[in-house]
Amino acid sequence: MARAADGRDVIVASNLSRTFRRADRQMVTALDDVTFGIDRGQFVCLVGPSGCGKSTLLKLIAGLMLPSSGALEVEGESVTQPGPERGMVFQQDSVFPWLRVIDNVEYGLKCRGVGRAERRKSAEFYLERVGLSHVARAWPRELSGGMLKRVAVATVFANGANVLLLDEPFGAVDYVTKRNLHDVLLALWTEAGSTERRTVVFVTHDVDEALILADRILVMHSGRIVDDLAVTAPRPRTTDGLMEPTMVRHKHVLLAHLGLENLQGDAKAPTGGEGTEP
Amino acid sequence: MAQRFDVLGLIGLVLLVAVWQLLTFAIPLIALPHPAHVAERIGEDFIVADYLLFYGLPETGLLDSMIYTTQNVLIAVALGATVGTVCGLVTARFDLIRAVIDPVLLVLGTIPILVLAPFFLIWFGTGRTSAVLLVAIYVAVILYIYAQRAASTLNPVYEDAAYTLGASRRRVVWDVLIKGTVPQILGGIRIALAGAWGLEAIAELLGAQQGIGKIVQVLAGSTDMEGIFAALLVLGILAVVFDAFTARFFSYVSAWSVEARTGGG
Ligand SMILES: Nc1ncnc2c1ncn2[C@@H]1O[C@H](COP(=O)(O)OP(=O)(O)O)[C@@H](O)[C@H]1O
Ligand SMILES: [Mg+2]
Repeated sequence: MARAADGRDVIVASNLSRTFRRADRQMVTALDDVTFGIDRGQFVCLVGPSGCGKSTLLKLIAGLMLPSSGALEVEGESVTQPGPERGMVFQQDSVFPWLRVIDNVEYGLKCRGVGRAERRKSAEFYLERVGLSHVARAWPRELSGGMLKRVAVATVFANGANVLLLDEPFGAVDYVTKRNLHDVLLALWTEAGSTERRTVVFVTHDVDEALILADRILVMHSGRIVDDLAVTAPRPRTTDGLMEPTMVRHKHVLLAHLGLENLQGDAKAPTGGEGTEP
Repeated sequence: MAQRFDVLGLIGLVLLVAVWQLLTFAIPLIALPHPAHVAERIGEDFIVADYLLFYGLPETGLLDSMIYTTQNVLIAVALGATVGTVCGLVTARFDLIRAVIDPVLLVLGTIPILVLAPFFLIWFGTGRTSAVLLVAIYVAVILYIYAQRAASTLNPVYEDAAYTLGASRRRVVWDVLIKGTVPQILGGIRIALAGAWGLEAIAELLGAQQGIGKIVQVLAGSTDMEGIFAALLVLGILAVVFDAFTARFFSYVSAWSVEARTGGG
């Protein structure tokens, strides 16, 4: 379903599959022959019901596990292991509880041998950007869930990865905080200027979140990519913007894919991204 | 918080002495000596205990024995904790090695010290080595279990996060596996240390030239209850004092963890 790869792509997946053997010896196909390419600097959202293989795909790109079959390339190189050029914000809290907030944000830079003063400056900058300067010296256990997510975002941004993989980062965050985090994330992403923007793959099951954030939405179902929508609405996008006709159409398509078409009186059946291909 | 616990601890101590004092009215002094007499004996025997000369020991006292016993306990805990922790962390991550080491260490831990001690005395003599190794084994088994459990329950997401941030394997071991399990490992060391005093005393009882256990062994034949109580009391005081210090230090090191905050670590 998804557009095949071309020369400009940062991430290229060809016939990518991944199976797991569960504890009860059943084989589970988490990712089933997936092929796609992702443009440099694009903000791509990955939408699909839970258990459809989103996290698996992200972990493959991160290099935290290897595919069962197929090929995966990032920046023209086959992915065999994790590396700092592919930053990841995990679905679970991954902020180290044993480091103070600012030391967490610095950690990647420290691993890569950046000097003390320089990494402190960078960490302070990104903490300020996510609005957490006041808790720089706090322990993570003293922070709320939403604050921890902001620390994780600051950490990957400070580390300067070209590809950012975010796995339902704001899934457990309340609505208002989530909207604020969207603004922070988009500001960090946009300010780099369109030529050197980082490529973002953002997993979510929240349709509105995807429509606010994405240049492109890949829809997954049962380990396959079943739709590929281009969202061309101008930024910054607002809640009002979500009521524009094209956005409403996208939303109906997405909800239908998630199995909610009956709840939407005037929704159409999935159309394979009708009128949305670039 | 800490201040209040100190006061409570003091009250507990006073109560203990009071109960002891009361019991001496009911139990003959030959079985349970008077607390004041025991305190007196500690003073008398502290530097040079005359009766030890009588039993053929060199000129020595409670202080020398306390130093000897303390040194052995600390060496044994350091040695056992290092071996146990390393084995525990490694086996938590490598199932194959775990399958090999698990039975060895866990069986070793269930052998009573009374069974093990004679062999060690034959192999290593009645010097420091026997006692230290005996105690170290039990410390190692405790730390093995604690470290293994700590590493097994450490969320793998931290290791994944470290790798995606660019950490090397060595860094992940130090910065995640070790730092992330420190509170539980220190908790294990505290428990092992508490038990080590008693084990060391037993090891000395069974065969040694010096130490608190040796004093108890020497006096046991003479039914010198005051002397035995004096020796056991200084051993107990050592254990309590060292536990208090390690607890302070450990809660400082584990300040980040919830366990430390609630006093569990
Ligand atoms: N380590 C694993 N072992 C066994 N099965 C797994 C493992 N990881 C994922 N799966 C299975 O793969 C499927 C996809 O999981 P996941 O990628 O986590 O889905 P999502 O992130 O979309 O909710 C699920 O059926 C899940 O049970
Ligand atoms: Mg997931």
